[in-house]
Amino acid sequence: MERVHRRWGAAAMAALLAMGSRRVRAEDVPLEELRRELHDLQGQLEKLQGQIKKQQQVIDKLSAEQPKAPPPPATPSGSTAADEERLKRQVTEQVLRRMQPALAAANKTFPSQFNPAIGLILDNVFSYSEKDRGDFEFRAAELGVSASVDPFARGYAIITGSPDGFDVEEAAIVTTSLPYNLTLKGGRFFADFGRLSKFHDHDLPFVNRPTALDRFIGGESQADGVELSYLVPLPQYLTLTAGAYNKLGAANDRVSNTTPRDFSQFTYLGRGATFFNLNDANSIDLGTSYAYTPEVKLDGGASRHLAGVDLTYRYVPLSQASYRGLIWGSELLYNQEDRPVGGFPGATSALSLARTLGVPADAPAVTDPPPLVFKRRNAASAYSYLEARLTRRFYPGFLFDWAQDIDHVGGDTKAYSPYLTVWASEFQRFRLQYTRLDAPEGNDNQFFLQWTVILGSHVHGFRDR
Amino acid sequence: MTRFLALPFVLGVGLLAVSATGAAKLKVVTTIPDLADMTRQIGGDQVDVTSLATGVEDIHAVPMKPSFAVRLNRADAVVLLGLEAEHAFLPALLEAARNPKILRDAPGYIDCSVYVTPLEVPTRIDRALGDQHPMGNPHYNADPVMAKEAARAIADGLSRLRPEHEADFKKNLAAFEEKLDAAIARWEREAAPLRGKKFVSYHPDLIYFAERFGMEPVGTIEIRAGVDPTPGHIADLEERMRREKVDLVVRELHYPAGLAETVARATGAKLVELPVMVGGVPEAKDYISFIDYDLQTMLKAVKGS
Ligand SMILES: [Zn+2]
Repeated sequence: MERVHRRWGAAAMAALLAMGSRRVRAEDVPLEELRRELHDLQGQLEKLQGQIKKQQQVIDKLSAEQPKAPPPPATPSGSTAADEERLKRQVTEQVLRRMQPALAAANKTFPSQFNPAIGLILDNVFSYSEKDRGDFEFRAAELGVSASVDPFARGYAIITGSPDGFDVEEAAIVTTSLPYNLTLKGGRFFADFGRLSKFHDHDLPFVNRPTALDRFIGGESQADGVELSYLVPLPQYLTLTAGAYNKLGAANDRVSNTTPRDFSQFTYLGRGATFFNLNDANSIDLGTSYAYTPEVKLDGGASRHLAGVDLTYRYVPLSQASYRGLIWGSELLYNQEDRPVGGFPGATSALSLARTLGVPADAPAVTDPPPLVFKRRNAASAYSYLEARLTRRFYPGFLFDWAQDIDHVGGDTKAYSPYLTVWASEFQRFRLQYTRLDAPEGNDNQFFLQWTVILGSHVHGFRDR
Repeated sequence: MTRFLALPFVLGVGLLAVSATGAAKLKVVTTIPDLADMTRQIGGDQVDVTSLATGVEDIHAVPMKPSFAVRLNRADAVVLLGLEAEHAFLPALLEAARNPKILRDAPGYIDCSVYVTPLEVPTRIDRALGDQHPMGNPHYNADPVMAKEAARAIADGLSRLRPEHEADFKKNLAAFEEKLDAAIARWEREAAPLRGKKFVSYHPDLIYFAERFGMEPVGTIEIRAGVDPTPGHIADLEERMRREKVDLVVRELHYPAGLAETVARATGAKLVELPVMVGGVPEAKDYISFIDYDLQTMLKAVKGS
């Protein structure tokens, strides 16, 4: 009996603690509200106490009556004691069962419970390069909020503050209950092109976005538009995505995001992705993406084709997944479009042109530039990295990165980057990286030290596996 | 003409046959094999059950495979431990699975923790306290009494989906409980030598097991749930273990062997290697044999020392 009481006490204690812990989260609740809550809760507790008292009376009555009916000495006291024990246990269980929903309900009455989940990511890099010397670079403070909109959709936004100012990296609505395995996404988001293009900078396995992606896509695959994705109802995992956007790529300067355009000037995307489970520990993700822009205004109205293949091999031994593993990720991109002979005399492209011509980059613009002559250009790029998981903390890796010049002005850019990621915990990470850069503008040796932390809400997304 | 008529007829019959067999069984996906065993026992011939984890995994690090999304996509119900135990993989998989039937709060979302009063509920939510157990310790599957609560939640869930078979599920639940009660009575007798024995584990996987069988957890090799130790923490832990005369070091089989061995050797405690789920070792083929295996292994270690 004593044990039952002790357990009941412990259970009530745990429940109260659970309530207390939830309360801490809602620090922004007005005092008045808290008071009312407390009052309600007191009421509920009193009611429960009343119930317990009543039930106790019933027990007492029953156990008082029982000995009267049969002759007291005839029945051994053991059996009545056992009956009583059982009855008490039943009552306790019943009270606990009744109490559970009341407690659960009491926990759910804060208006702030509807606040979206909020997370903040801080990303800092110290870099030293032979060419550019040292720099403490505050890269970004990235605020992420997400919540359900209603039973039909959820929404999320990722807003980044960086030395360049504030920027809405993503702000999108995603349906949650469309039939036929469909999901519709609208707003600003990272378009479903390739694999690492959909990763935010701080989520990349290494310090910098590979040139192969940065040059061909333009940073992340950020796009304003809509995307429909379909999980094909087969035993084999297969998703198909179709999208239409203003443009693809956060730093893609071929198209202005704010000027309206003809339908022929949107970018249209198609992607298929599948997965092969070789056995319990080994698997392959394979995807192919294609982005088509019928008319790029900047290029004099010619089309642009951007295609990519991504392949990710994973070795994850099931019983050691948290401290052993290997990942080999590669992407190959191909771009075809009309480009000006000799490159654009604009800002960044002109830099490489100026350099090859031996002109200082900040020389005044040549007056009356000659009309641009466009030519169809093909270019390819690729990266491949191998990362091992040696312990729960240490993830060493090596990245090879290669990109042709889209304008065919300079030669290829190549980079070799050994790196080591050290996880203090799941929410704090240090990364050390060396990069040997072989570029037409000159070679460079670069060192990076990255320190990244996550505060608050954090989801393990399916896309950034 | 008859051929044109026959075609839709054949198709129709085919579809009927497909839907009839489809209606015959509920497709249930559980996160861990323990829950799969219980669901099979309670659901009987009404369910077709598979588990995402095989039992050898760390529940906090089950790989998020796209093939799991396919299985969840076709499921009528998902059965989970809850209390954020599956945080690392399930929420994202549910999103990828695009199956409104098994989303949180849908009838097909069967959270087995609803009747469980969790232990180690944190007094405040702060990542300085670790991140894996914000709702309290979720490893209640190692306690056979809690397993009855989980089974009750499963019976509730299945009844929600197939109300016409509620009586069957209740009956099967009672049979399962009876079987488990008999085993619990035996285990409580057998576990007598474990009473008061002190142990350290890698992660707090065995808190409920310890509570049930009167063992005393002294600490973990991890600093906090999910945070790997530093040398300083290990030194403190060893010091405390020597002072408190800790009997056992438990290595859950999904954690690295080296450190647990070192700690055991340094403190003179006996090393015990245990699965924390059904399927963690070949002997733990169902729920009862899993608890049996852990208990007998603990007993062997205690008797040997
Ligand atoms: Zn845990």
